[in-house]
Amino acid sequence: MDPILTTNILNVVYEVSTLAVVVLGLAVVFGLLGVMNLAHGEFVMIGAYCAFFVQTQNLPFLAAVPVALLVCIVLGLAVERILVRPLYARPFDTLLATWGLSMLLREGVEAVYGRGFKSVAVPLTDSIDVLGADYPSYRLLLAAVSIALVAGLVWWFVRSATGRRIRAVVNNPELAGSVGIPVTALARNTFVFGCCLAALSGVLLAPLMPVQPMLGLDFILKSFFVLVVGGLGSLVGLISGSGVIGGVESIVSAFFDRTYGYTTVLIIAILFLWLRPNGLFPRT
Amino acid sequence: MSAPLFSFAGVTGGYGATTVVRAVDGEVAAGEACCVLGRNGVGKTTLMRLLTGHLPLQSGAVTFGGRPMDGLAPDERHGLGLIYCPQDRPVFDNLSVRENLTLMASADADRYAPLLAAFPILEDRMAQSAGTLSGGERKILSFVRGAAETGRLLLLDEPSEGVQQENVERMAAFLHEAKAAGRALLIVEQNLAFALEIADRVIVMDHGEVVLAGNAADMTEATLAAHMHV
Ligand SMILES: Nc1ncnc2c1ncn2[C@@H]1O[C@H](COP(=O)(O)OP(=O)(O)O)[C@@H](O)[C@H]1O
Ligand SMILES: [Mg+2]
Repeated sequence: MDPILTTNILNVVYEVSTLAVVVLGLAVVFGLLGVMNLAHGEFVMIGAYCAFFVQTQNLPFLAAVPVALLVCIVLGLAVERILVRPLYARPFDTLLATWGLSMLLREGVEAVYGRGFKSVAVPLTDSIDVLGADYPSYRLLLAAVSIALVAGLVWWFVRSATGRRIRAVVNNPELAGSVGIPVTALARNTFVFGCCLAALSGVLLAPLMPVQPMLGLDFILKSFFVLVVGGLGSLVGLISGSGVIGGVESIVSAFFDRTYGYTTVLIIAILFLWLRPNGLFPRT
Repeated sequence: MSAPLFSFAGVTGGYGATTVVRAVDGEVAAGEACCVLGRNGVGKTTLMRLLTGHLPLQSGAVTFGGRPMDGLAPDERHGLGLIYCPQDRPVFDNLSVRENLTLMASADADRYAPLLAAFPILEDRMAQSAGTLSGGERKILSFVRGAAETGRLLLLDEPSEGVQQENVERMAAFLHEAKAAGRALLIVEQNLAFALEIADRVIVMDHGEVVLAGNAADMTEATLAAHMHV
């Protein structure tokens, strides 16, 4: 196969799979709690800064994973208790509150680390020969980890008792409480889980992007586009939305440049809002 | 006389600032059934939601097993033995019939055996998603789930709605068994004959209030119908 084509295909796979992990956290929280967490991108940002912090402490890159999870569990628990739970039945107030939180988190990180770009060293610097194309092994690994993560979570969601209970709560919250599902605790854990997934993405993506306080905005916007295109209804929608948004952006960026990639994605999202507001796979 | 297993007094509440149910009193002892009757829209389901913790009380008190229920979430009440089968959306439509039955239970499907033998339509549809069942079949599934639980108090909101007569009779048989086993039943019904067959006590509601309450043995269908304005 043509090495340039191979490289482009791998780029699309990388873009789509890493995006899917970020959106998955956002969508699971929205599905169960009905809460759109506008600070989701900031949890990615915090994860990335954890990778930077670990590097400044001369610890191995992977030490950032437990650090980021710990930070986001504590933060996620506090946010759920203070902001999310009191505002359950008030979606607009939740949007405002989580948007406020996102600003607070950006300002907070800026106060500590400043505005400047930080860079995190790539843990694997070599590249691998894939069908004649020379592809960076860290990107390849990251794509593989992301695919495994999404596949594992989908499998768990479909097969495990907890996954079944989450689906039960989404379908019929009133009945769920009455058959004994601890709905409040499940919602809290799911919210924290969504934050942790975002933070994990942040850690793993940190070596491949400039780490700066505003980086979460890019993720929340793209996640929105994915949900607009795919629909809020299902995992199939989420994965196809990630496919369309991540795929189109990386293809257009490869042939033109990043700005065109971004503009194309924006236009697609607007067309969807206009012509097919419930996305490819609407919620039934 | 010992205290009743379940009692409520002055129960008042509704949706947001709207009051639907006003000052409703009642009690059920172990081994006893109390039926709540009334036309559509008088607040029977709202009363059930207030008793099960799905809606907050505006005033009044609910006591179960000598313990005040205020502040307890529905799943906590379930944990104490309060089993509720709601009127609308009685099952998880997106789960299979089997998953509906085993969602919270370990694999000890034995407790379902007598119920499934009595309602074979469920056995035939185990792998089917509950959303594909007819309204009456969903009510049966909900009934089977509730009847098989071990909690001491069973709250059923119109269990016979849309269910064929022969299956209504089977439900009645299981409810008699449950009473004999010492469970307390609080049942909302529109089907007077079914209600009178199982009830020891009756509460008739209109416009969110109790208009008649007493022993089922003292009531005829005619008196009840008169108070229900049907
Ligand atoms: N979710 C709700 N929000 C607001 N009002 C409701 C809601 N559900 C029921 N009501 C109102 O409460 C009243 C009593 O309804 P309900 O308790 O369902 O009566 P019943 O079960 O006796 O038929 C009705 O007037 C109904 O319109
Ligand atoms: Mg009703």
